[in-house]
Amino acid sequence: MLRLFARSNPSADRPRWRIFLGLAGVAALFLGVAALLVVGGAAGLAWTNTEKFCIGCHEMRDNVYAEYKGTIHDVNRTGVRAICSDCHVPREPAALIKRKMRASLELWGHIRGVVDTKEKFEAHRTQLAHNVWRRMKETDSLECRNCHKRESMDPDKQGPKAKARHEKGLADGKTCIDCHFGIAHKEPAGPSPEELFGVAKTAAAAQ
Amino acid sequence: MRTLILIAAVLGLGAAFIADAADDAAAEALVKKSGCLNCHSVDKKKAAPSYKDTAAKYKGKPDGEAKIVKHLTTNPTIKFDGKDEPHDSLKTKNEADVKNVANWILTR
Repeated sequence: MLRLFARSNPSADRPRWRIFLGLAGVAALFLGVAALLVVGGAAGLAWTNTEKFCIGCHEMRDNVYAEYKGTIHDVNRTGVRAICSDCHVPREPAALIKRKMRASLELWGHIRGVVDTKEKFEAHRTQLAHNVWRRMKETDSLECRNCHKRESMDPDKQGPKAKARHEKGLADGKTCIDCHFGIAHKEPAGPSPEELFGVAKTAAAAQ
Repeated sequence: MRTLILIAAVLGLGAAFIADAADDAAAEALVKKSGCLNCHSVDKKKAAPSYKDTAAKYKGKPDGEAKIVKHLTTNPTIKFDGKDEPHDSLKTKNEADVKNVANWILTR
């Protein structure tokens, strides 16, 4: 009887409600902070994918970006462009974050001025290109394929030469970068991606 | 007088260097525009011989330049994957530009 009375007595329930409200408040605050971090993080990641961000440092603007200007991925018949991040950053969330974390190490290179002059950049060009080619080989040229879908490439709409080369390349297990290297930036001296890393690393060859 | 000759020589060398660089840039631009780099590379193995290999084959030969010019302008038959196909021509009608590309290849 006393228990029933206590339950129906609003003054006795007040502390419970207070605890509940307190917990709800903490949960809401936690969710709010988490949402802010997620939204802020996503916005930050999106910002680091913009052309403006990429050419914010003179190392990129005066070298690779200057070389990219006027190439087929910058200017073409349809006006559809591929900017830096389209070719150098994966779209899949896990791979994107992994790439961004790795790229953050490049800030250390920027601070130390590893490629802060034309001469230093040229001295590192081959190594920088090899880093990109290695990743392209390991991912079967993922960033190329984000736009150039193999299943959507109609051989009958290609020129006879392109058609013959694509057929042979695919049959040999080649990936895009094996042939399409040095298309947006100057080609470094030395071996090609295929000569460096072979053809067996491509996903197409493994299938 | 000696100083004047020295200045003239330096200016002359500088002008020649700038002209060479401009010729190289024009040749590279025309090669890119014509799609040559789809099959050729300056020094790498691709579907077709590298320009370094071509230079080694024709460098120092009296008809080297003429042979390359002919190759770049007359759509000769070449082999790819065991099949015959015509070689593409440079996308220009200007003889001087073609010769410039031929010499650019010969100096790789």
